Amino acid sequence: MEKFDRIKIGGLKVLEEGACVESSSPLEDNRLGPAVCAPLAQQRLNLSFFTHVAGDREVLCTTSHNGEAALTLLRSRADPAASLALKPGTSILAVYPHDKRPEVIGTFIRSLARARVVIHGLASSPSAISVVLSSSRIKPAVEQLFEHFTFPGFASPEEFFSAQAPPKEYLEKVVATYQEKVNKVYWIIPQSDLDLWGMSIASSDILAGFADALMEMGKLGLAIPFLVALPGLGGQEFILSFSTARRQSGSHRLEACATGDQGSEVRRILTSHLADIRPMRLTPVAGIFLHGPHFGDRYGIAHTLVAALAQAHIKLLALSCTISSISLIIRQHELAAAQVILGNTFAAPVESAPATSGS
Amino acid sequence: MSAKYILIVDDDPDLVETVSMMLESKGFEVGKAYDGIEGEEAIKKRRPDVLILDVMMPRKNGYELCKELKSNKWTKEIPVILLTAVGEAVPTTSYTHADGMSVEAEDFIPKPVDAATLVEAVQRLL
Repeated sequence: MEKFDRIKIGGLKVLEEGACVESSSPLEDNRLGPAVCAPLAQQRLNLSFFTHVAGDREVLCTTSHNGEAALTLLRSRADPAASLALKPGTSILAVYPHDKRPEVIGTFIRSLARARVVIHGLASSPSAISVVLSSSRIKPAVEQLFEHFTFPGFASPEEFFSAQAPPKEYLEKVVATYQEKVNKVYWIIPQSDLDLWGMSIASSDILAGFADALMEMGKLGLAIPFLVALPGLGGQEFILSFSTARRQSGSHRLEACATGDQGSEVRRILTSHLADIRPMRLTPVAGIFLHGPHFGDRYGIAHTLVAALAQAHIKLLALSCTISSISLIIRQHELAAAQVILGNTFAAPVESAPATSGS
Repeated sequence: MSAKYILIVDDDPDLVETVSMMLESKGFEVGKAYDGIEGEEAIKKRRPDVLILDVMMPRKNGYELCKELKSNKWTKEIPVILLTAVGEAVPTTSYTHADGMSVEAEDFIPKPVDAATLVEAVQRLL
């Protein structure tokens, strides 16, 4: 077996006993708010994971006992030609921090490919990269992660699994549901001058090629501040959507691709590792990162966000809600308006957008 | 003069990332740990000037770690800020302010954390 240097990383976590709903519609009809987010919010369903790409495709996760309810709600508002599928018995597995490094995200995806995991959804948060997978594949996935990463808290998969059963007292106390009148967000950070790449691949089985592409992008000095991947219409395709930016060494912050166009190089890398794909690039786009609104403990926060953007006629190109944060991608010329509307919608400090190239 | 060293211990990686960015932007040096046992190891390696400690964590929760630190003569002087899921926004938790007081933390701040409040609390304890 090919050997790789293991990457030292902060940690990993598993959220078990979930259910996942995959939703896709053949029509791009801006149904995200009214047909997806609104009914879930009205029924007070907490989401532990939620991704969307314009198109319209979504993957959402909730607790196992709420899976059927979520499916029924979405089905009641769905277009007749839409595809909806409930996957019970799913878990969310995440590693952190990725520091926007393609090699960390790529190694995570490569580990999943080697564990022969069927991926129901992938999403990045500001710190973590998460996957939705069948609970029965957690063990092989974690074993593969230990082949490729080292974690300070655990020397082996056995140590990790033995630490997963928290004491009863902890379970009783850990339930916390935030119910503020205005949702608090720790920090809203915009980032302009990103490239958004979208492509459809035949299935998640060939994600190993994407992992190799990410590794090569890492060598170019690129960063990946945003990534989602999810099944497309009827599960017949797999959609990848990610943004690239130039990495600034020794800093959390990302610098936009101000010097030189990386687009042709990224396209070459993608097509060299993934046969028969047609990557689409949208540029410039902007990312907005809502750090830590604890969306998983607050039903309706995704709806609040989506409704606010819709009211301002801002088109959401891609959305990722995982761990405790929300990341979204919009067209760059809508960034200022989006910052205003989100600043008015959430209680949060908003950082000014960094100056764009040429400004 | 070297920067003050703040250690954040929380099992929410997004919170660790965010608080770290907040404090680094104010000139602090920041260490990160993702559960109580990792936090304990990190303190053994380097004594923090202030410890920011989540309460609800696997393996060893924040109250346990805080209690241990405060009963050890080598670590009892480390100022501790507990991040707690109590208060008006969180009616369903059974953690209480009294729990926080009993482990002798210097301060406790309810989640969701207000960035300015947290930075002020750190500066006050230095």
